[in-house]
Amino acid sequence: MGLISPVGNSCEEFFSNLVAGRSGIKRMSSDFVGRLSVNIAAEAYFNAEAYFPKKAARTLDRVSQFAIVAAAQAWLDADMQLAGDEKKRAGVYLGTGMGGARSLEESYVQLFKQNVKRLHPLTIVMVMNNAAASYISMAYAMKGPCLTFSTACSSSAVAIGEAFRLIKHGYADVMLAGGTESLLTYGIFMSWESIGTLALEADDPSTSCRPFSKDRTGFVLGEGAAILVLESLERAKKRGARIYGEVVGYGSTADADHITKPSVEGQANAIAAALEEAGISADKIDYINAHGTATVVNDIAETRAIKEIFGQRAYHVPISSTKSMHGHLLGAAGAVELVAAVLALKYQTAPPTANLTIPDPECDLDYVPGKARTGLNLKTVMSNSFAFGGTNAVLIVKKHE
Amino acid sequence: MTTTFERIKKLFLENVDFPVERLHPEATIESIGLDSLDKIEFLFALEKEFDIKIPDREVKLDSIQDMISVIERLVAEQYAKQEQSV
Repeated sequence: MGLISPVGNSCEEFFSNLVAGRSGIKRMSSDFVGRLSVNIAAEAYFNAEAYFPKKAARTLDRVSQFAIVAAAQAWLDADMQLAGDEKKRAGVYLGTGMGGARSLEESYVQLFKQNVKRLHPLTIVMVMNNAAASYISMAYAMKGPCLTFSTACSSSAVAIGEAFRLIKHGYADVMLAGGTESLLTYGIFMSWESIGTLALEADDPSTSCRPFSKDRTGFVLGEGAAILVLESLERAKKRGARIYGEVVGYGSTADADHITKPSVEGQANAIAAALEEAGISADKIDYINAHGTATVVNDIAETRAIKEIFGQRAYHVPISSTKSMHGHLLGAAGAVELVAAVLALKYQTAPPTANLTIPDPECDLDYVPGKARTGLNLKTVMSNSFAFGGTNAVLIVKKHE
Repeated sequence: MTTTFERIKKLFLENVDFPVERLHPEATIESIGLDSLDKIEFLFALEKEFDIKIPDREVKLDSIQDMISVIERLVAEQYAKQEQSV
């Protein structure tokens, strides 16, 4: 697994910061700070020139840079090698909400404000949504399916779920799957500000995102990427790979109801579908990484959806929203949060929901408030991703035994 | 005065990781490893550096020397135009 995030640029650093309750949310360093009503974000500390030669640093949108570095980490972590014909049965599935929107915005500024005569010749290549996935397929000569999914905040959970099924149903043996997003631009901030889902800045900015807490006000935009190596169990066993976990279930549903308002039914259907594919009952789920955006409506809807499927069990499963610390990575959120769930399995530790200080009677489950829980006996974990547009994706990973 | 070649060289090294000793006027675009996309991008950088507009087609730009000639011609034309309008 590989990752670039606001709380660390490696999986281990990321998880240890989550467990310690360290937030990556702060006042932004951008030049448009002051022109927004909310000036906080979860920025990734990422210097492209440390990773790329000049040309690549200049001609790759930040969103592709994140993904390429996360993929390289994952590849190394998995000690992956592909011989000859295996390359045809290896592919890349990524999720991104808006791909190279940053480059598009920058080019529009040049065009409309600076009246340049010509735009950079690689503008299209930098902006297109499938750039990141394509560069990764080139880097590892993966010649099977290379697709990019865009379902807003569930994009990367969808990418991972679809990659899992591709392997499960015999169309591929190895997949790099995950997501990437880098949208901390002036235009995007202004757009989010208008729709009214962003958290207000708290006295201590790092505590601004408060999932499931009565005083929650919304999410904080974040950026980053996470990519996982998925491999058929047979191949992984044969080469003696270190197996973090086994993806066993994926639920994909549409609310078919409202473009932004979450639907309890749609979310519950996705959880039920993932459990069904995994062939297990809700009783077997030991930890949930919640979508937990900290908007008033999401957290109530998600709580209800979990209760609907889990019944009484809902009160006994540790659930956390790590968005309280790494922010909302939009199209990359599902992948980043699946990494958190898988590392919860590895370390038998549930990361906390930070800043949950005032209980909300409508959110009355065990959200692991404030402090990580260690020494658990987790065997199966779930990660929820819900989205604007109503595309829900739920993933279930089982400890490999 | 800095020659056109020196300015091209400087720009080239700012944009690409490339061994400087292999860059000389006779070098073809192909021999220095630029593919068609790289070439377009480099021409874009040249336009900015020299404040000219290189026509999209009908210009032979196969070597560094071609670039020098085209740039010097376009810069001269541009200069002449400015003189006229003064």
